[in-house]
Amino acid sequence: MEAFVPWKGKEIVMESGEGRLKAQVIIDESIPSRLHLVPVFIASAVGKLGDLQMGEDTVFDLKLCLHEAVVNAIRHGNKEKSELPVHVVIKTENNEMIMEVTDQGKGFDFSRIPDPTTKENIGKLHGRGVYLIQSAMDGVKFLNGGRTIKMVKALKTNT
Amino acid sequence: MEIKLEKINDITLVTLNGDLNMDNSYRVRETFKKILKEKRAKVLIDFHKVPFVDSSGISLLLEIVQSFGKANGRMCLCHVNKKIISVFEITKVHKLFNIFDSHEAALRSF
Repeated sequence: MEAFVPWKGKEIVMESGEGRLKAQVIIDESIPSRLHLVPVFIASAVGKLGDLQMGEDTVFDLKLCLHEAVVNAIRHGNKEKSELPVHVVIKTENNEMIMEVTDQGKGFDFSRIPDPTTKENIGKLHGRGVYLIQSAMDGVKFLNGGRTIKMVKALKTNT
Repeated sequence: MEIKLEKINDITLVTLNGDLNMDNSYRVRETFKKILKEKRAKVLIDFHKVPFVDSSGISLLLEIVQSFGKANGRMCLCHVNKKIISVFEITKVHKLFNIFDSHEAALRSF
């Protein structure tokens, strides 16, 4: 089945040293590694983010980063093998939006990404996705041997 | 993505309507190849109906800059929204694009 799993939002409450933290899971879905499904998935995800009443600039950044991460996962992680899923989790925690995108590939060494803004790279046609993510988000981590990218954005009202 | 073409003397005005992303970059690329094939190497792209650009869209614009430049022509952009401008600035490609606030200013630059 090619379509992604329908959204089932859920609210969870976790115990921590500072008391009870509220986390809202907005999306927890897997999509097949088919590039043509990405725009529909992103549009659906952004629609759900819109319910959180964030500012236009924040929504733009989240859309951009989710798009770049999912395309990278399909293209470079799963090598466009449609049977391999890309798992996407989007949640809010303590006034932060957290987006995690996981592929099934061999992992990714983010330290080897060349800077696309240097004189020799600026005219190159590829290699800007991760750079854009790192610029637009407040925090980015590569986990699980580079198979998971965790992106964090602080949520501000209407910015 | 809707693509509207108009001829203003030797300049082709291309108005794009929709996100410029991986999904539609093939179709947009083919449009610009066709314009270049007709030996019309001066092109102005109106972005006022483009709300979003991803890295594939940036790659496509770089391809257009390079291919039209090789043909002794030029690509200009106008009415680009501030978020897209900021994406261009982050990646520094704004240095390679000729960006104007209005049609008139862009047309005068050719």
